[in-house]
Amino acid sequence: MDESLLVTQLIAGDDKAFRYVIGQYQTLMLSIARAIVGDVFADEVVQESWVSVYKNIAGFERRASLKTWLLTIVSNKAKARLRKESRMVSLEQLDGETPGSYLDSANFKRDGHWQNPVSHWNNESPEALLEEKQLQACIAKTLLLLPPTQKAAFILRDIEQHSFDEICSLLDVSAANVRVLVHRARLTLMQVIDRYQETGSC
Amino acid sequence: MLSCKQVATLASQYLDHDVSTPLKWRIRMHLMMCANCRRFIRHLQITQTVTKNIKVDEQTPDSEKIWQELQQKIRQESKQD
Repeated sequence: MDESLLVTQLIAGDDKAFRYVIGQYQTLMLSIARAIVGDVFADEVVQESWVSVYKNIAGFERRASLKTWLLTIVSNKAKARLRKESRMVSLEQLDGETPGSYLDSANFKRDGHWQNPVSHWNNESPEALLEEKQLQACIAKTLLLLPPTQKAAFILRDIEQHSFDEICSLLDVSAANVRVLVHRARLTLMQVIDRYQETGSC
Repeated sequence: MLSCKQVATLASQYLDHDVSTPLKWRIRMHLMMCANCRRFIRHLQITQTVTKNIKVDEQTPDSEKIWQELQQKIRQESKQD
C-alpha cells in the first residue's frame, strides 16, 4: 500500500487503515518491546504505543518512514516502562551464554585452532536451500526460540535491514553488544542448517 | 596471526564490512591459509542469505481485537480527563 496515502487515511481517522497498520507492525513491535522490557510487560507497552500512535498521528511529520516512527514510539515506551519498573536487567541476564554454540571454547584447541574440522555441506546453494520446506520451518521455529534481545536484533538487522545505529537506539544496547547479539543469532541459525545438512532433518 | 577462534568471533563483522582495514587484512591472511575458516565464513554467508528470506509469522496478530481494546482504552482515558 502506498505509504503517503496510508498516512493520510490514518490522519483522517480511517479505522480500516489503522487495523491494517496494526496487522503490519504488531509482531515487530512486540519483538522490540520484549527485547527491552521482557515478556511480562511487552503486551501492555505495545498497547500503550498504539494509543499514542492513535492520538499523535496527526502530528506525524513524514520526515521518517511510518515504520521508523512506530518503532521509535514502542522503543521509547518500553524504555520508559523499564525505568519505571527499575529492573535494569543486564544483557547477560536477558541473553545468557549459549553453550554448545560454535564459539564454545570446547570447539577450539588451546592455541585457538578448530578442535574438529568445520563440517562440509552437501548443498551450498542458498536458492536450493530456500526450496527445502522442512528447513524453512526449522529455521523459523529456532528463530522464535532465540532469547528476546537476540531475536529482535537479528530480525531488525537481517530481515528488516536496519542499520546498527538504529538498532542500538531502538533496543537500547551498546554498539558492541548489538553486534554480538546479531552474531550469536546467526550462529544459532547456522547450526540449524548444519544439522539439516548432516541429518536431513532437525 | 589470528586464531580460528578469533576469526569465528569476528565472522559476522567481517561479512558486514564492519571491521577496520588492518583487521580485514589480518582476517584475509588467515582465510588464505585456513580451509576450515573459509568454509565457516562461507556457511555463515549462506545462512545469512537463507535466513533473510525466512517468513517470521509467530501468530498473525488479531488486528480486530487489538483495535477494539485500543478503542476501549481511549474511551477510558477520555472519561478520566
